Amino acid sequence: MARIPVTMVVNGEQVGPVELDEYTSMLDFLQEYLNLTGTKLGCGIGVCRACSVIVEGADGSLESVRSCINNVGRFDGKKVTTVEGLAEHNAEGEIVALSPIQQAFLRNFSFQCGWCTAGFVNAATVLLDRLRREPVAADRVEDTIDEALGEHICRCTGYVRYFRAVREVIESTPGLVKEAE
Amino acid sequence: MHRIIVALAALLLGQTVAAQTSYEKGRYLAAAADCVACHTAVNGRPFIGGRPFHTPFGTLYSTNITPDEKTGIGNYTLADFRASMHRGKGVHGNLYPAMPYTSYYLVSEEDIEALYDYFMQLPPVEYTAPRNQLMFPANLRFGLTFWNWIFFDREPLAQPQGKSPEWQRGNYLVNALGHCGECHTPRNFAQAMRRDRHFAGNLLEGWDAVDIRPRALLRQGWDREHLRQLFTTGASDRGTAFGEMFRVVEHSLSHLSGDDINAIITYLLDGSDETSRVEGQPELAAERYAQGRADFVAYCAGCHGREGRGIVLDFAPPMDGNAGIRGQSPYNTIAVILRGLPAQRMDRNNARAGMQGFHRELDDARVAALVNFMRTAWGGSKDEVKVQEVAEIRHQLQEHGYLEAAQ
Repeated sequence: MARIPVTMVVNGEQVGPVELDEYTSMLDFLQEYLNLTGTKLGCGIGVCRACSVIVEGADGSLESVRSCINNVGRFDGKKVTTVEGLAEHNAEGEIVALSPIQQAFLRNFSFQCGWCTAGFVNAATVLLDRLRREPVAADRVEDTIDEALGEHICRCTGYVRYFRAVREVIESTPGLVKEAE
Repeated sequence: MHRIIVALAALLLGQTVAAQTSYEKGRYLAAAADCVACHTAVNGRPFIGGRPFHTPFGTLYSTNITPDEKTGIGNYTLADFRASMHRGKGVHGNLYPAMPYTSYYLVSEEDIEALYDYFMQLPPVEYTAPRNQLMFPANLRFGLTFWNWIFFDREPLAQPQGKSPEWQRGNYLVNALGHCGECHTPRNFAQAMRRDRHFAGNLLEGWDAVDIRPRALLRQGWDREHLRQLFTTGASDRGTAFGEMFRVVEHSLSHLSGDDINAIITYLLDGSDETSRVEGQPELAAERYAQGRADFVAYCAGCHGREGRGIVLDFAPPMDGNAGIRGQSPYNTIAVILRGLPAQRMDRNNARAGMQGFHRELDDARVAALVNFMRTAWGGSKDEVKVQEVAEIRHQLQEHGYLEAAQ
């Protein structure tokens, strides 16, 4: 079984180079090697999107990538953010402030069991990043949220509250919404 | 008294049964002819039309074929119906050959009557499809008289001697009702099917409607059992049906009887079951296309399995022995990697998760290396895919908006 050297930045910290079995899934790497257990295994076949993490592209734009069906090689040399890395931390590594999406999810009590939450938080964070660069027309906000989060599955059926929380953040953050065309 | 009641009941019952069988037969034939696929818009009511067709000459919309008198075919007589199916003559003028009368002209009189009976018994729906948006001179329907004159060759269905009745039935299903050639046969400049290249494959909507001549199918690894699985479930270890072909399975093939599926397969494979042997060379492939192998492991193996052997079919098909990988043309392998595939759902127990498109993340050179790795390792291919080929396919897909749509 071949091993490959992997280097990446996870939540702002340099990881590796570390030798890994080439078939190690990103999810296993996060949980077993980095002890980042906030990313959850849901279906394991890339359908439910509970395991989504954030990958930063070369141009700085964010993308949500499923960690269960992608092996570590895809993340080699990339900047990755998991749910543990979204809040603002101080120099000692303590959490200073949750991200706006995290706060809104708490305010709206969007989740019950919490298994799918990391995936929702990450997908919503990616959506906000996109809207910062490409604001959406006011009458397209709901469709846009649906497109971005519609594939995520929540078995406690927290959809309405997830939806409400994300809309709240989009509508209250300046620069994400433009006038309807 | 009792006798009269019994006699009456028998009469009534007899009539219902007769009516049902005629209706059932028409319904079956309509499934075999896949009418619903074109005459239904996305999320629309079946058979009321409105589905757009993008052609080089502009956009066409399918029409309402429910028996509504104002907007559908309620006023059609059997002769009118026959004229539209056999000659492309609608009550209001020539039909555009997007309506496959160029194949339906082969449908037997008996089947035309059953189809007519079926459509006339559908609930009528009042609906008018959007107007066609065609450029001059294609917008002039009388021009189609000339088109028909030049390109519509009403040659009868070839019925070669020495073929089994099953083969002959398959011939009829494939060429007449199934109108398979409409997608799988290349077209000329005027969008007419090229008879000399019957079933040789054709690019359509950013996919390769593959070569389905017997030798090509056997080369791709399709034997009877794999084709049967593909036609009845939409998926097999040789690959899955996608694009328009998935809809064909969903609306048409999966509703056909076992005998008819067997007939279609017998015709398509011309009675053979001897797939070509493929000598995969995984070691050589790994050596020659190291980046391609690394990308397969990193991007693909999570779903398509270690060494391309698949995990379970409900998840994603194996790449080892996949028809697309074994086939002559690498088009679909490249297009799937760039575009991805939408999720599919046949029923509760048969669905696939869909695939992400990688056109943003993988450049032409990496896609070429990945495709070459797979084709060498598991398809036994000796022709190398050039980076330039990937670039051209990417450019085509981009131009027609297929790369954004899949995201």
